[in-house]
Amino acid sequence: MDECQSAIPAHDGDLHVVAAAHHIVKALGTTKNLSDDLRKILIDLDAHLSLITSNIDSKGGKGFVEVEERLKRVERKIVIWESDRIMIWDSGPKEASDYLEAVDEVQTLIDSLRGLSMNENQKQKELLHRASSLLQMAMSRLEEELIHMLVKHKQQSEPTYIPSPSSQRNVVYNESVVSLDNESVKEALSKNSCTDECGEYIVDLVPEHVIPDIKSIAKVMFASDYGQEFCEAFIGVRKEALEQHFDILENGKLSIEDLLKMEWCSLSTEMNKWTWSMKIIVGVYLMSEKRLCDQVLGKFGSVNSFCFLEIAKTTILCLLNFGEAIAMGPQEPEKLLRLLDMYETLADLVIDIDALFSEDGGSFVRLEFHKLLEGLADSVKAAFNAFGVAVSSNGSLYPFPGGGVHPLSKYVMNYISMFPEYCSTLNLLLEDQHSDVASLVSEPQCGPTASLSTSCPMACHLRSITSSLESNLHKKSKLHKDEALQHIFLMNNLHYMVQKVKGSELRPFFGDEWIRKHNAKFQQHEMNYERVTWSSVVLLLKDDNPGSSSLSKSAFKEKCKGFSVAFEEVYKNQTSWCIPDPQLREDLRISTSLKVVHAYRTFLGRNPAHVDDKCIKHTVEDVEKLLLDLFEGSPRSLRNSRRMMKT
Amino acid sequence: MTGTDQSSFLGRISIRRNQVNAMEGYHEQEIEDLELFQRQLSDRFTELLSAPDDAPTEAFLSISWIRKLLDVFLCCETECKAILLMERDAAQISKPPLDRLIPELLERVVKAMDICNAVTNGVELVRHCQKLAEIAVSALEQKPFGEGQARRAKKALVSLMSAMHVDDKESSVQKTAERSWSFGRRSGNKDRHHGHYRSLSWQVAKHWSASKQIHAMTMNLAAPRGPEASCLPAPVYILSLIIVFVMWVLIAAIPCQERSGLTTHLPINKHVNWTHSLAGIHDKIGEEWKKKEKKGMAGLLYEMQKMEKLGQSLIEFTDSYQFPGEKEKSDEVAAQVAELAEVCRRMDEGLVPLQMLIREAFHRLVRNRTEFLDVLEQGAPVV
Repeated sequence: MDECQSAIPAHDGDLHVVAAAHHIVKALGTTKNLSDDLRKILIDLDAHLSLITSNIDSKGGKGFVEVEERLKRVERKIVIWESDRIMIWDSGPKEASDYLEAVDEVQTLIDSLRGLSMNENQKQKELLHRASSLLQMAMSRLEEELIHMLVKHKQQSEPTYIPSPSSQRNVVYNESVVSLDNESVKEALSKNSCTDECGEYIVDLVPEHVIPDIKSIAKVMFASDYGQEFCEAFIGVRKEALEQHFDILENGKLSIEDLLKMEWCSLSTEMNKWTWSMKIIVGVYLMSEKRLCDQVLGKFGSVNSFCFLEIAKTTILCLLNFGEAIAMGPQEPEKLLRLLDMYETLADLVIDIDALFSEDGGSFVRLEFHKLLEGLADSVKAAFNAFGVAVSSNGSLYPFPGGGVHPLSKYVMNYISMFPEYCSTLNLLLEDQHSDVASLVSEPQCGPTASLSTSCPMACHLRSITSSLESNLHKKSKLHKDEALQHIFLMNNLHYMVQKVKGSELRPFFGDEWIRKHNAKFQQHEMNYERVTWSSVVLLLKDDNPGSSSLSKSAFKEKCKGFSVAFEEVYKNQTSWCIPDPQLREDLRISTSLKVVHAYRTFLGRNPAHVDDKCIKHTVEDVEKLLLDLFEGSPRSLRNSRRMMKT
Repeated sequence: MTGTDQSSFLGRISIRRNQVNAMEGYHEQEIEDLELFQRQLSDRFTELLSAPDDAPTEAFLSISWIRKLLDVFLCCETECKAILLMERDAAQISKPPLDRLIPELLERVVKAMDICNAVTNGVELVRHCQKLAEIAVSALEQKPFGEGQARRAKKALVSLMSAMHVDDKESSVQKTAERSWSFGRRSGNKDRHHGHYRSLSWQVAKHWSASKQIHAMTMNLAAPRGPEASCLPAPVYILSLIIVFVMWVLIAAIPCQERSGLTTHLPINKHVNWTHSLAGIHDKIGEEWKKKEKKGMAGLLYEMQKMEKLGQSLIEFTDSYQFPGEKEKSDEVAAQVAELAEVCRRMDEGLVPLQMLIREAFHRLVRNRTEFLDVLEQGAPVV
């Protein structure tokens, strides 16, 4: 113990001064409108002066009577709770404030006793020792109360307002380019657009009315130099609460090894969960946690950011590690949308993260976050390129039956119709590869006169993808031996592409020029089809001798027979072909009808003498009706249909 | 090894590769590169082995020692990759036996990443211990010292001990109640115990086991023999071995989930010169581990061990303390407190940088894998 010179006044004169000062202090203390701080100072001063007085009073060391009395009083107040199993703050506000007052009093006594220099006064030492022990008892108790309070109230702040991820999460797109065959693609593709409104949703992690209690405990614990204990307890409970919230969000704890081996289907679900969790954890919980720290620890300087970092660190690192695992995985095309979701989620949270971890200690988290953002940007680019490669290299060994809309066209068009939702992100990420692609896609839209939407990087990439698709479709069309079917196939698929562009958000990115051009393309295939299929058939009905008025019976018979054989051949073939779009099918039938029925009717009309059932296998009406059977995708034999008509 | 050493080594390989592609004696030069590399490795590990067992700074398995180990790891990784990949034709590393060895290496790399993450989490537990020890120190340093401070210190130290002796097999959240701070008379109320226990396994999958990872990483890890020992399989083996070794040390030193049977023999070929010191470190840590394993412990980290010993002794002191205390005893205690304060200081200085370094190793492994995959992809036959 320090041996110091006594500074306690010993003369009567001093005693008077002390007494006078004491008197003034007591008088001031009765004033009503005092600030809390000032009142505290006066109380401290009061205690200090009374100590001096008692010390002077008791030269023999038997003094400190008043101090001892006060100590005994608070001792009773504090010790009484030690045998009680009920928590103080649960007992009522009066009990709590009485207890805090008692702790204040102990602290005041300790300060005063310390303020006096230590001589060999045994009594003083003993009192100080007793007071310190009492303070320790109280602090330990306050720590328990704090933990109890935090644990008890954290349960009540379960996030009832947050829609469960499963109801929010949209159906996941689980197919890869290779295996696709249905129409449900479109709905399955919808963007994982989890509530934008959850963005800045700060909640009360602890009910508002509890905050003042926590603050009052923080205040006395820090004032008594038990700040470390407060922080450890506070961090412990809050950290665990955050981890529980994280668990509620159904994040499987997966190692990188597991993630790299995972099937796409499950991985896609995990990626969705992550996107959701990231938004909720950072946007809601960390923001709220930060506010709680600010509320409770705002007055204690760097302690505040230290505690927040300790609470948040492992959870955010866990989320970042998942992101790292995804970013290092192979970037298959089917991952593109999920990767975009992940990237956009992080990009949206950058400002929050930078604000939450603005202090030096948090720079590590900030850095990791930005690193991951870059990593995911690269992944998006890689997946986008992989998508392009997949579109142009998707190969088939067999012709697509019926010449209908190929699954690849459906997949690609439905997939890219999701891109406009990610427009600004894709424009940002594809910027640097823009010039290469723009020069490849030599559409006039990419020129300097083009409008903004058709010349943006995404638009050029989109058109580059559809032009890859077109050339792939041309390759696929060659698998059909029948030239007419090649045209039907291309017509169907180009028409499908145009319809998809016209009927979706894609339109502004492709522009009217593209639509015109591609309309012309499929119409060209339509015409080519008619030419290839019907020209030779119609030619059979042609008048060989335009001069003469009618044909001889045998010549007429010959021509009739030739026509019906050719027609039946076409019928047999093309009823199995397919034009899925009813409008397109209708249009083609009408124009075919116009051409074929018209020629047939003219032919028969020119030779009225020979028209009888025996040599005319099909009437004009028959032909007109039969043409309606084409392109329905169900092969028919003409023999059956004729018999049907005759009966 | 300094930065310049390394850059000159890398420069040397780079120049070689540029010059010799069509030259005679290419293979001889490669052998020379490999030998030089192995000599450097040997030097570095010898230096690590020669660290003193007990010293205020740079002791064997201390934080600064582990940081050095990680530095060595990062250097080796760069150089080994240079030998393997620099100016190398993809076809060279995709033919047998490398077509088997490289994928095996990459699997080890992925497992090592998971270990890095688990260990980063373990460092958090060490930091928690540090905070508790700091409370004890500040209580024990109080003057005048009394029973209040003794109780305060004891409370922190008891928590410290229970945090240290977390059984790494069952560190799930449910178990927190029994292990957390004792609240004496109110301990019937379990709710109160929340928050005092930092779970170790929180970030990792439930059944993930550090020792199983190590075990899996050692599968098929065998030193190349015969002619293979002097060509490409050799650096693949070296890189694999160093990754496994460094991860093994990290797990042994830092709290980590499920480490039973960690003494599993690492297949270190003692007949090769460069592995002498490596094997030495391995044996030394293995011995330590055997001594401590049964007691349950936080790891072999020098600072943690020191903290454990000091903590135990200081608990005894606080238990028996009665005001006003004996003079002699207080001198002895003061020395211990000063020592504990010093341990805390070293942790305070070293743990965050250590965490960063582990993270750097993690990112390096990620990059390493990507680079190998890129080269392999180039070499893959075009379909």
